[in-house]
Amino acid sequence: MSRTLGLVLVTFALLAAVAAPVLAPHATDAHFGGLLNAPPTVVHFADASGGWHAPFIYRWRLVSQLEQRYEEDLSTRVRLAWFSGGHVVQSSDEGAAPLLLLGADSYGRDVFTRLLFGARTSLGLAVTAALGALLIGATLGGLAGFAGGVFDDVLMRAADFVMVLPAIYVALALRAVLPLVLTASEVFGLLASIFAIVGAPFVARGVRAIVRSERRLDYAVAAEALGASDARLLFRHLLPSARGFMAVQMTLLIPAFIVAEATLSYVGLGFPDPIASWGTMLHDASSNIRVFADFPWLLSPAAAMFLVVLGVNLVLQNRRSEDVRHIGVRHTQRL
Amino acid sequence: MTWYFARRLAFAAFLVIAVSSASLVLARLAPGDFVTESAGTEISRQTLEQQRARYGLNKSLGEQYRDWLAAAARLDFGYSMQYGRPVRDLVPERAANTAILALAALVFATLIGLPLGIISGSRKSGVLPGMIRATSVVLLSMPPLLTSLFLLFIAARTGWLPIGGMHSAIVPPGGALADLLRHLVVPAAAVGLPLAAMLERLQSQAMSEVIGEPFVLATLSRGVPRSRIVWRGAFKAALRPVAAVYGLVIGTLLSGSFAVEVITTWPGLGNLMLQALRSRDVYLVAGCAGAGALFLACGTLLSDLALAVVDPRASETRAERA
Amino acid sequence: MFAKNKNLHANPKLGRSTAHAFDRAVSWPLGQIVTRQTRRLAASVAFVVAGVLAGAGCRSNTPPKSATAAASKSGVPRGGDLIASVRSEPRSFNRHAASDSTTELISNLTQGKLVHVNQATQAVEPSLAESWTSEDAGRRVTMHLRRDVVFSDGHPFTADDVLFSFEVANDEKTQSILADAVRTGGKPLQVAATDPHTVVITSAAPFAPGVRVLEILPILPRHRLEAAFKAGTFAKAWGLDTPMSDIVGLGPFVLSQYAAGQRVVLTRNPKYFAKAPDGGALPYLDRLTIEILPDQSAELLRLQSGQLDMMTSEISPESYASLKRSADGGKITLLDLGVSRNAEGLFFNLKPGAFGADPRAPWLQRDELRQAINMAVDRKVFVDTVFFGAGVPVYGPETPANKVWYWEGLPHTPYDPAAARQLLASIGLTSGADGVLKDARNQPARFTLVTQKGRPSMERSVAVIRDELKKIGLTVDVVALDSRAVIQAFLTAKYDAIYFNADKTDLDPGTNQDFWFSSGLAHMWNLEEKTPATDWERRIDELMTKQIASPDLAERRQLYNEVQKIFYDHQPMIYFAAPRIFVAHATRVTNLTPAEYRPQLLWRPDTVAVIR
Repeated sequence: MSRTLGLVLVTFALLAAVAAPVLAPHATDAHFGGLLNAPPTVVHFADASGGWHAPFIYRWRLVSQLEQRYEEDLSTRVRLAWFSGGHVVQSSDEGAAPLLLLGADSYGRDVFTRLLFGARTSLGLAVTAALGALLIGATLGGLAGFAGGVFDDVLMRAADFVMVLPAIYVALALRAVLPLVLTASEVFGLLASIFAIVGAPFVARGVRAIVRSERRLDYAVAAEALGASDARLLFRHLLPSARGFMAVQMTLLIPAFIVAEATLSYVGLGFPDPIASWGTMLHDASSNIRVFADFPWLLSPAAAMFLVVLGVNLVLQNRRSEDVRHIGVRHTQRL
Repeated sequence: MTWYFARRLAFAAFLVIAVSSASLVLARLAPGDFVTESAGTEISRQTLEQQRARYGLNKSLGEQYRDWLAAAARLDFGYSMQYGRPVRDLVPERAANTAILALAALVFATLIGLPLGIISGSRKSGVLPGMIRATSVVLLSMPPLLTSLFLLFIAARTGWLPIGGMHSAIVPPGGALADLLRHLVVPAAAVGLPLAAMLERLQSQAMSEVIGEPFVLATLSRGVPRSRIVWRGAFKAALRPVAAVYGLVIGTLLSGSFAVEVITTWPGLGNLMLQALRSRDVYLVAGCAGAGALFLACGTLLSDLALAVVDPRASETRAERA
Repeated sequence: MFAKNKNLHANPKLGRSTAHAFDRAVSWPLGQIVTRQTRRLAASVAFVVAGVLAGAGCRSNTPPKSATAAASKSGVPRGGDLIASVRSEPRSFNRHAASDSTTELISNLTQGKLVHVNQATQAVEPSLAESWTSEDAGRRVTMHLRRDVVFSDGHPFTADDVLFSFEVANDEKTQSILADAVRTGGKPLQVAATDPHTVVITSAAPFAPGVRVLEILPILPRHRLEAAFKAGTFAKAWGLDTPMSDIVGLGPFVLSQYAAGQRVVLTRNPKYFAKAPDGGALPYLDRLTIEILPDQSAELLRLQSGQLDMMTSEISPESYASLKRSADGGKITLLDLGVSRNAEGLFFNLKPGAFGADPRAPWLQRDELRQAINMAVDRKVFVDTVFFGAGVPVYGPETPANKVWYWEGLPHTPYDPAAARQLLASIGLTSGADGVLKDARNQPARFTLVTQKGRPSMERSVAVIRDELKKIGLTVDVVALDSRAVIQAFLTAKYDAIYFNADKTDLDPGTNQDFWFSSGLAHMWNLEEKTPATDWERRIDELMTKQIASPDLAERRQLYNEVQKIFYDHQPMIYFAAPRIFVAHATRVTNLTPAEYRPQLLWRPDTVAVIR
C-alpha cells in the first residue's frame, strides 16, 4: 500500500518534469511586472453574488506596491482557457490576469511553472549525482572492505580527505579557473561530478563496514570455500547485503544534493538564471523572512521536495524489506 | 592494537596537514585577496602593496606555503589578518562554542532519533511509523538555512526564546548557565532535527533488516516477548550502521555548520570559517579547515572503534592478522 | 526639530569660515567601491563658496519626521541601554589599521575629532577645536582647542595629542589607512603647536578642503600609544585582543567588552567633554551594545521583537512591509529619509585594447552600445522590480538627493527600444528573423555582466537589465561573484561589463576626483589612465580642474553641468535608479537626528537617548 503511494508520488514527479512545457501555463522567464510576490490565483466556480459559472479567476489588484499586498478585483471574471496555445490551461487574459496557481516570486514569475521546470533540473541533477555517488562509493567501499589491508587504508583515508575538504573552497577555486559563463549542460555535468565525488565517501564508509562484517559470515566463507571468485563473492554476495544501506543513502543524498545546488549557485557555480531549479528557488525564498508569514507559496519547492523524497523513500524502503527477506532465505538455502 | 592506533593517529596528523594545505592553496587561488576589499576606496596602490607585504601576500604561493608549513611545524599557524590575532588562539575559542552546540544537538538527536528509528523500523506498517517516517523526510528535505530561519521566526513570534546569539549582553536573573541554555535551544534544534531524522532513518532501516533475520525469528519462536527482542537483542545488532556514522557525525558537527551558525549568530567554528573564507583570511581558513579535519579524523577513528565494540566481527584489530 | 535647528543656528560663522565638502572617506558596507575623497587637490575653493554650499546643503538634507523624534525640549531622558546592530565584526580598534564600517563606527563612538561634520546639514561643527581662523587662502589654519578636556583615563588632552595623531597618520611605518586622507597636493599637512591649546595646520598646496578633512582623523592619546609608535608596532596596536581598559579616548563612549563574533559593549565616558544644551552631561545613554548580526533576517526579527533598538544601516525594500506592520502596531518607528545620494551603475570595460583579438572588440566599447542600453531599459520597470516602487529614475551621475549639484537640465532618456535598435544597427548589430542581434560575422551579440552575489539590489538590477535587453535582441550573461572576485575583475580589467556601486560620501563633485579624473583610482571604466584615452575624458579632466579651482558657485555649477552633459552623451557609467532610504528604530529611542547617509541614526551618538 505504502509502496504504491511511493510509486504514485515518484511517477507523478517524473510526469510533471517530463510534461512541464505542456502543463506549465507560462515560460520560466516570463514575468509579470505588477505581480511581484502575488499570491496564488484562486480558481472560482461561484461569483460574489452566488451565481455559478465555468471555472474562472479574478485579477489581482495591487493595494500597496512597496508592501506587495494584493486584493482580488471582483469586477470582472476571467475565464480559463483550456488546451490553447500548447498549454493545458491558461487564463483567457494572460496579459492582465495571468493564471498563477502557486503565486508569483519576487520577480513576478509564475512559481508553478518554475516548479515544474525546476523538477527537471533538480531531480535530474540530484538523481544522477546520487547514482554516481552510490556507484563510486559502493565500488570503492566494497573493494576496500573486501581487500582490507593497505588498500583499505588508502581508500578510506582518501575518503576522509574528501569529506573534510571544505567543499565551498573547491567550488570557489573552480569558479576562478573556469570561464565566467558556463552553459546549462556544462553546469549540470560539473555539479553532478562534484556531488558524486563529495557524496561517495559517505556511501563508501558504510558499504565498507557492511562488507567487512559480512565477509566473515558463514555464507561468505562457505562461498569462498566453494571456489567463488573474488569478484563473484563481492558483487553477487557481499554488496547485495549493503542494498538497504544504499537505499537509505539514496534517500539522504537526493534532498541533500537538491539543497547543495543552491549553495553552489551562491558562489557562482549555479545554473544560469532563466533556468529554474528547486534549490535556487528555495534560496531566493529564504532571503526574505516574510516568506513564512506572507509568501508561503514560495516554499512550494520544499513541499515538492518532500513529496519526491517521501516517494523515493517509500519505494526503496519497502522494496528493500522484501529483498532482505529474499536474501536471507537465499543465504540459508545455500548453507 | 597499539600499532594500529599509532598508525591511525599518524594518518590523522597527515590528514590535518593535507587539508589545511589544500585550503591554503585553494584560498590563494580564489580571485582577490585580503586587501582587495580596500582597493578602490581611500587607499592608493602603493599603500595597498605595503599592506600586502605586511600580510605576506606579496610572496609567491610556493614561498608562502613553505613559510607557513615551517611555522606550522613549530605549532605557529600564523596570524589572522582580520582579527590580528594568532590562529592558534582563535580557533580553539570558537571550536569550544561549536562543541557546546554539537554536544547539545547530538544528545537531542540521539534521544529522539534512535528510539523513533526502533519504533518505525520494528513495525512494518501502521500510523505511527508512517508519521515518523514522514516527519523525518520533511526534516531531511528542508535546507538547513530554511530550518534555522523558520525556528528563529517561531522564536520571534512566540517571544519565548532569544533570537540568536550565545549569551545575553547582561547576565539575566537565573544565571549564566540558564541563559546559555535558552540561547542553545534554537541552534541545537536546527542542527539536531535533521540529524535526528537521519539517525531515525538509519536505525529504522537497520532495525527492519535485523527483525527479518533468522536469530530474531528463532528467539521469537521460543516465546520471548517481541518488545524485549526489539529493545534488547535486535537493538544492539541494529546499532551497527548507526555506529558507523556516529563518529563521522560527531566530527562533522564539531567542524561547525555554516548555515545554522550564521543565521542564529552562534559564534562557532563554522561562522568563523565563513568569515575567513569571505575575507580571504588565508591562514585562518587553513586553521579552521585543519581543525575541522582534526575533528573528522578523530570522529572516523571513534566510529571505527565504536563499530568494533558493537560488532566484534568487524574489529579492526583482527584485520591486522593478515 | 530642536537638534537640527541648533546646529543650523549655532554655527553660521563656522560654515562660512570653512571650505566645504571634503568629507570622510568611508567604505560602507563591506564590498563596495567608495571613491576616494581627499588626495591630490589641485586647486582651492574659496571660503565664500563653501559657506553658500554649506547653507544649501542644510536645506537639501531635510530629514523628515525627526521633529517628532526629538520634540520635547524639556528634558531628554538620561541613562538606559541601547542595542544597535552591525553586519560585520570590527577589524581593529585602531582606526589607522582598518577602514571597514564597524571599525569606523566604533572609532567614532570612542574617539574625539577636532571637528565634526553634521551629516544632516553637511555643515562643519566644532568639536575638540572650539574655534578656528584661516589665513593665506586657507593654507594656514589656527585651531583653538578646548580646555579642561581629559581622556577617558583622566589624562589631560593637549595640543601634543593632536601633533601625535598627525605624526602617526603621516609616518611611513604606520602604513596608516588615513595617510592619504590628511594629505593635500600629495604632501602631508604640517602641524605645529604654538601653545598647549593652539595648533597651526599648514598645507603645502592651497588648502581647499578646509578643516572639514580633519573629521576623519581620531585624536589619539600620546601617553598610551607613543611607546608602540616608537617601537614601530603601531600598526598592530589596539588590535582586537587588546584589554579594553588599555583603549582610552575622547569620545562619548568607552569600550567595556568585546565578545568576538557576538558583540561590542560600550559604556558612557563620564569624562566626555561635550555638554547637552541644558548644560548637563553627555552622552545621555549609559550603555551602548553593538550586536554583530551577519544575517539580515535575524537582525530584522530582533528589531521586531524588541531585542534590538536600531540598525546602523538602512532597511532593504523587501523588509519594508514587515517593519511597516510593526510600526503600525506601535512597536517601532519607521522613517523615510528620502532618496539615496548614491545609485548603482553599469559600466563597460573601456580600457583601450582590453578586448584584443576578441571578435566583439569592434562594438563592445562603442558609445552607441551604451547609449542604446540607456534607452532600452524601462526605468519604471526597473524601479518597480528592484525597489518595489520605492525609488526614482536616475539619468546621470547625481541623484535628486543632491540638491546643489543635481542638474534638472540633463535630458531624461525616454524608454525607446526602437531607437536603441537603430543605434545598434549603426554599429553593425542587426537582428535576424528570430529577433536576436547578430554582429558582422553573424554571431549573436552578447556580453557578460558581472555583479556582486548576495546583494539583492544588484542581483535584482542585473536581472531587470538582462530581461530588458533581451527584448531588443541583446544577450546578457549574468554572473554574480563574491565581492572580492568582482573587485579583482575590475582591478585587472578582465571583464566585459560590471554592475556595481561607486558611492559618494560627500555631495560635492570636487571631492570625487578619483571618479572624475582619467588618472583616478575610481575612474571605474578605465582605471588610472596615464593620459586621457578619449577626447571627452580629456575634456572632463579640463572642466573638473577648472571646476575645483573656481571660487564662484554659479560658475562651478555651470562647469559641472557641462561635465554631466558630456558624461550623459558618452554614458561611461549608465545609471538607472536610486532607492529611497528607510530606517527603523524602537519607539523608545528618542532625540535622534536622522541623516540619509550611514549610520543614519547613530552618526551623532552622544545625543541619542532612550525612554525608560
